[in-house]
Formats: sequence, structure tokens, C-alpha cells
Amino acid sequence: MTTLSYDNVAVCCPVTEPYVRRSEHGAAWFLARTLRRLLDSSGIDKSAIDGLCVSSFTLHPDTAVGFTQYAGLSPRFLEWLPMGGACGIIALRRAARAVQAGDAGIVACIAGDTANETSFRDLVASFSSFSRDAVYPYGAGGPNASFALIADAYMRATGATREDFGKLAVAQRANAQRNPLALLRTPLTLDQYLAARPISEPLHLLDCVMPCAGADGFLVMPETRARALNLPFVQVLGAIERHNAFPNDPVQLRGGWAMDRDALWTQAGLGPHDVQLVQTYDDYAVISMMQLEGLGLCAPGEAPDFVRRHDFTIEGSLPHNTGGGQLSTGQAGAAGGYLGLVEAMRQLLGKAEGRQVANARHALVSGFGMINYDRGLCSSAGVLGRA
Amino acid sequence: MIRLQRCADCGRAQYPPREVCGTCLSEMLHWDSADFLPGRVLARTVLHHSNEPAMRPHLPLTIGLVQFDAGPVAVCLLADTILPGHAVQVRLNADALLEAV
Repeated sequence: MTTLSYDNVAVCCPVTEPYVRRSEHGAAWFLARTLRRLLDSSGIDKSAIDGLCVSSFTLHPDTAVGFTQYAGLSPRFLEWLPMGGACGIIALRRAARAVQAGDAGIVACIAGDTANETSFRDLVASFSSFSRDAVYPYGAGGPNASFALIADAYMRATGATREDFGKLAVAQRANAQRNPLALLRTPLTLDQYLAARPISEPLHLLDCVMPCAGADGFLVMPETRARALNLPFVQVLGAIERHNAFPNDPVQLRGGWAMDRDALWTQAGLGPHDVQLVQTYDDYAVISMMQLEGLGLCAPGEAPDFVRRHDFTIEGSLPHNTGGGQLSTGQAGAAGGYLGLVEAMRQLLGKAEGRQVANARHALVSGFGMINYDRGLCSSAGVLGRA
Repeated sequence: MIRLQRCADCGRAQYPPREVCGTCLSEMLHWDSADFLPGRVLARTVLHHSNEPAMRPHLPLTIGLVQFDAGPVAVCLLADTILPGHAVQVRLNADALLEAV
């Protein structure tokens, strides 16, 4: 079965409501400020936004529905996408199809969260039914503990070392030093990474993203509309998602990308080595390595060797998480699922300023989300192209 | 005693418990009871941080993923000497915490 292409879909105006460590504002403030930035950067009137995709953890008890009233929108297409780190590409897929079908003319896609002293613990304690009942009581380690178990299994299966994870983290910090939006910009050496205190072994402090507040967004509309508005845009060459892949794997050593990778590259008419930059979802480096494998940049189990052979900085052999990723930018809740996408857009639009990848024509972006019990359930990926 | 949910229709065991069978969606579920469940450790971590202040006096705490011989995988507290690959017996303690011995 052939999937329809994403022809005539323009993705424009990557915006970020700057991340901050903590905030007194609510999640709706971050989302509304992001919407305002989309209007300011596009020059369109709020009434022209007739489609909306929203992702947020701390908007609770509200959803995208309540946000329409909060922000004075009357969309005829509305998506609430609680898919965490996979939500950016998934919002893009939903918005692109709505635009192609004529169910919406301009879709605003926004994701963001607030952060305060208790928000992270509250989120972790009641993240899901399975997690609340069968994970949290065993030490309340939260995502650090869940990913530590996955990382432990992955290291035993593949021979990955802390140095391999550290190489990704150190390269991302180098990239972050060129991104004024990144919260963590002090230089980082591999020795400093290795010397960090243990959090949930084998994970140490610098393996763990820093929760913060912030939001990201972009607009999706027909190419004809973007041209009429004189808005630079990128194209969607291919996009996939998968949920609860490989449920019989006893422990997660792969995500859903492996199921849909061939469809992604076929749809894009490209291969894994035709992209100039890669943005993976780096809540932990082990997951970035699973994405490199799952999306075909290297074979299953070979990401450690791949990492040893490549340089992931802006001028390196494979620019990766060029804005610093979540490990250096911070994890603003659901905005973490948008971070790589808006960074890839900036690179392809030539707006990455001090960290521009030379000749960036094609970008691979992937997402991963939702440790419902023992593994992340949502996988997504997209290939974007310069128009 | 420790209990594991099993489907009367398709025979599959499942954990965490739910109101229907995750394999065949039958609601004919019953509980297998035993003194312990045999299994094998898939992964372990030593926790040095907890999101719950009440847990912090118990740190560091070793937990692991254990696959029961019956199939399902559970997050369990582990004795410090237990490593991935080890065969274990999972018991339910009176304080409702699982402990492998």
C-alpha cells in the first residue's frame, strides 16, 4: 500500500518561547505566547488560524479544547496529542493531512509546559496507570530509573559504554554553546561527563535532561498559501509514526522506527546517508543510539561503533542535535517533542545563525515518547527538505 | 503469596494487571497464586535519587526488570548481589514490595 505524499504542504515559522528553569506562569501562558510568536513571525491574523495541534503535560486538567477558549481561537480542526517526545512529527503529520484535505487552511502546532518545584514530581507520580501501580512504588526513580534499566540492557547487548553516551552529550554541549536558546552552555569535557554523580546507574547526572519551562511551535499550510504570504518554508518528504511496537520484546532495545524505516525512506525518495543533519530525541543518549539504528544510519546493535566513528558537532561528519538537544537546551515537557523539528527547520531555512550547517538541504528528525510502563511506546520520524 | 493474572481463554499471563486480556481481549481472567514466581533478571539499576522524599532514606536502592518464566516482565526490588542473567524467585513482601531472593 502506497502512502500519499505530503505534496503542497509548507511548514513555516519555527518559533520558541525561550526556556527557563522554573516559571510562575501556567502552561497555557507558554502556549499562548508561542501562538503570538507564530502570528508575529508570519504576519497573519489570529482569525486565519483555523487548525490547531496542542501538546502539553502541565496544561492538565485542560486540553487543547480549553486552550481554544483561553486563547480566543475558533478552529475547525483540533488535535490534542499527548505523545510526549513523539508529538512534534505527529502534529506535523496530522496538520499536513488536514491541510491537504482542506479540513484546515492554516494549522498552528504548539507544544509547551511550565515547570515549578512540584510539577515534575506530580507528573512522574501519576504519569500512567501502569507506571503509578507497577513502577513508581519501587523507588520512585521516575524516567531516570526506567531509562537506566533500558540503558543497562542496551549496554550489555551491544557493548555501548558510558564514553559512547558521553561523546554524544559532549558534542551536543559544544553545539549548544552556539545556541543562545540553550540553557546549558558551559563547556563540557568527557572527563567532566564521566565524573558526574550517579543518579540511577548506569545513568549519571549529565545523562539526564534538565526539566524546564518553555514552548515551541510552527505553522502548516498549503505551499500556495505560504508563497502568497511570502513565508519561507520547508517540505515534508516523508513521515512515520508507530505506537507500542514490538510488544513481545522483553526489554526495549529498539523502538518503532525499525518497523517503518523503509516506508519513510521510500516515501522520501532518499536514503539515510542523504541527509546533512539529524535531530534525535535525546532524553537519554541510549535512545538517540536506538534511533540511529532504527532509522538505518547503522545496523541494529552497531550504534556504539557508529558513534565512535563520527563527529556530531556542527562541522562534523554527521551534525546531530545541532541546537544542543534536550541534554543541553533543557526539556520543556512536551516541547521536547518539537525541539528537534524546529531546529531542523531553522537549519533548512538558513536561520540557524551561529550554528548553521553548511549546505543543509535534507534533515532527519525523530521522536520518542511515553514510558507508559517499562518502555517508550511512541516513535515518530520525518524527513524534511529545503523548498 | 504472589499472584499473577492469567487469561482463561488464551492462557497468557499478564502484568501489570488489567480488566481484560491484553492478548485476546477476553474478560475471563483469573489469578495464579504461588509462594514465589521464578524468573530471570533482564536489567538492573542502582537508584541514588528518588522523586519521593519518603524513599530517600532507603537509597541507594537496587531495582531491576525481571521476566517471569510465565512471560510477563516486572519492575522489582533486587537484593544487591543479583545481576542480569541471574535466575531469581520473586516474592511479595508483607509491605507490598516485591523482593527477589
